[in-house]
Amino acid sequence: MDFEFTDDQLALLDGARSVLASACPPALVRSVHDGQSGDGPAGLWSTLCELDWPGIAVAESSGGLGLGFVEAGIVTEELGRVAAPVPWISTVMQYGSVLRLSGDAARLAAVASGSVTGTFAVAEGGRWEPAAVRTTAVPAADGSGGWVLSGTKSHVLDGATAGEIAVVARAEVGLGVFAVPGGAAGLSATPIDVIDPTQPVANLRFDDVAVGADGVLVAPGDPGVDDLLARALDESTVAVTLSTVAACRTIFEMTVQYAKDREQFGRPIGSFQAVKHRLADCFLAVERASALAWFAALTIAEDDPRRSLATSMAKSAAGDCQRLLSKDGLQLHGGVGFTWEHDLHFWLKRAVAGELLFGTSTWHRARVAELLGLHMDWIGSAS
Amino acid sequence: MKLRFDDDVEAFRAEFVAFLEANRPSLEEMAAEPSLSTGHMPGWLRRWTRTLFDHGWLVPGWPPELGGRNASSIETLVYMEELTRHRVPRHANVQGLAIIAPSIIDYGTPEQVEQYAMPILRGELTACLGMSEPGAGSDLAALSCKAVLEGDEWVISGQKVWTSGANYADFCFLFCRTDPTATKHKGISIVLVPMDAPGITVRPLPEIVHPDEPDLNEVFLDEVRVPAGNLVGGLNNGWAMANGSLAHERGMVWVTAVMGLEAAVAWLLELAPSYVAPMGPVERALAVDEIVGIAIDTEAARCLGYRGFAKLARGGTAPEQALMKLYASDCRQQVARIAAEVQGADALGIGVIPNDGQLAVDEPRGTWLEQYFQSFANTISAGTSEIQRNIIAERVLGLPRG
Repeated sequence: MDFEFTDDQLALLDGARSVLASACPPALVRSVHDGQSGDGPAGLWSTLCELDWPGIAVAESSGGLGLGFVEAGIVTEELGRVAAPVPWISTVMQYGSVLRLSGDAARLAAVASGSVTGTFAVAEGGRWEPAAVRTTAVPAADGSGGWVLSGTKSHVLDGATAGEIAVVARAEVGLGVFAVPGGAAGLSATPIDVIDPTQPVANLRFDDVAVGADGVLVAPGDPGVDDLLARALDESTVAVTLSTVAACRTIFEMTVQYAKDREQFGRPIGSFQAVKHRLADCFLAVERASALAWFAALTIAEDDPRRSLATSMAKSAAGDCQRLLSKDGLQLHGGVGFTWEHDLHFWLKRAVAGELLFGTSTWHRARVAELLGLHMDWIGSAS
Repeated sequence: MKLRFDDDVEAFRAEFVAFLEANRPSLEEMAAEPSLSTGHMPGWLRRWTRTLFDHGWLVPGWPPELGGRNASSIETLVYMEELTRHRVPRHANVQGLAIIAPSIIDYGTPEQVEQYAMPILRGELTACLGMSEPGAGSDLAALSCKAVLEGDEWVISGQKVWTSGANYADFCFLFCRTDPTATKHKGISIVLVPMDAPGITVRPLPEIVHPDEPDLNEVFLDEVRVPAGNLVGGLNNGWAMANGSLAHERGMVWVTAVMGLEAAVAWLLELAPSYVAPMGPVERALAVDEIVGIAIDTEAARCLGYRGFAKLARGGTAPEQALMKLYASDCRQQVARIAAEVQGADALGIGVIPNDGQLAVDEPRGTWLEQYFQSFANTISAGTSEIQRNIIAERVLGLPRG
């Protein structure tokens, strides 16, 4: 296994970091937290679109850059590092993944061009496994090949603002995936006032929402639907994992710097062994989670059979990481880290929120248990 | 970034595997005459080390005259993978092969190389590393074993402890104080001392498990005389050598640790279903969660190792290498503890070796509880976990010294 980024990948990473340092300063993130962001986030999204990043993993024939999941992961990580308030994961890593996997080149071209944002509505009642989907899809009465969707989706990332939504719904013959415009008749979005406004979620209610035949991404009864959903969920999960670990790395770097700068008893607090050992353990937690996240990204990039196991292991490790970093990062900053005025809480919240999206550590550990053959059928289906 | 190495690296792997399969000692041969300590080379192992040396497979990264083939670092990595996967040692005297011989080659005289280093590489001699003392453990530079030049001889007196393999070794690579007036890091030299020299007493220190096969020893030196020419690498230069030359193949030691961990977890996963099946649902979920945790840790250790290696191969610094000892040794402890707890009271027995033959050769062995106790060797020796955290904090994170 070769974990080395290529020169091109390193150039992308350096370029992304340099662009985002000026395009997404902490002041922009603060404006979002203060509820006074104005056009700032939209301007940042335009910048990303001008760089053609939404099409990073889209084939050149569909107007994309023709790169792969590793490159998409590099941008995801850099956006997480600066807590960027943009619909990147929802549009590119969720909706874009569903479109790529279902082979919808036209819609994918729209995503790549930056002309549309999107998201993926799968969870219901806080459960992320497709088995929990109760939203119904009924064939349209007019025999046009269209469908009618009814039900409620929970915790849809950027669900209140997405231009298009890939919705998983259950027909008599099985699950299907449908593309629904954000403003469709019968669709109502309820944004949730969440702790991390840079990753907004909404609940979506579908009251007899009509989808035309051209909105069927995966037809109910298609034998490939389970595999497609598993892949799309794994890609979503690895994206939020990379982003969460990146937020943790920012917490870590801020805390190390604080330990060097802050003096008590006439010396930097970072010279005390009690502080040093905690920071060494934080470093291990970040590196451990990052290594697993990149292994998972590689299994997606290369379509390796270890993909689901690697994904759930990585999400679980990101959970361990955010638990330690949010705790020690805040604790070692002392009182100042506890204030709204200090920037630390942007990343604390980003990291903690990441743990709760697309399945908690506990959910993913149960999935690891299943994949390792330690069946946990008494807990219920978790695959 | 990719899951497989390039074709030329895989061809190198295939060549080594073919050599291994054609020439390796058999498991029966190995079991009939086990190595009893890191200073002890059974006959089959002496012959095997010599075969590896003659064919350029002993330390592939070195030139042919030193038993290598000028392999690249990636080739050395796949070599380590295959050696560990096939569960074949290349030498019993790991400290001799990995630290002492290369240090003598780098810093010693041509005579010292001929008389001491090359015989280690050919499997003819073993050596021990005389570092720790009763008053100098983590604070190695506080050592007090002294060497005084009298005419053309060093006269050495003092005590070493935790000296692995000293009960069988042919000579000692001895750290001693040669300038009592200098600051503590600056008055240390290294002297080569034959272990049969008059005045040396070795007292084995039976360990908390497998007390009949001690590897650790106390070494007492009472006016031991060796020729002045046995000084290695210049007077009072010992500390620099300890920090410099001990780094040979440092980027690779994690391979064995991680593969041993993988083997242990694989065995735990094989054992677990029969033990968790009769448990009630909550007990079972709690037990399975611990097993899942160590399985994730093991995968993480593997990924951390490869990532650190990739950075090292690119010529950068590799903080993962500094983390690997801390992390892998802790994981090794956890897997043994978890496995024993999964087994419940069945884990109390000793003398039965349910997983013998499952582990990499120089990994903890015996029952899970025996392995648990033995695993503390890895969190204590070669810099305790606490020292590792200090090293990470100060040298990697740049925090000020206390």
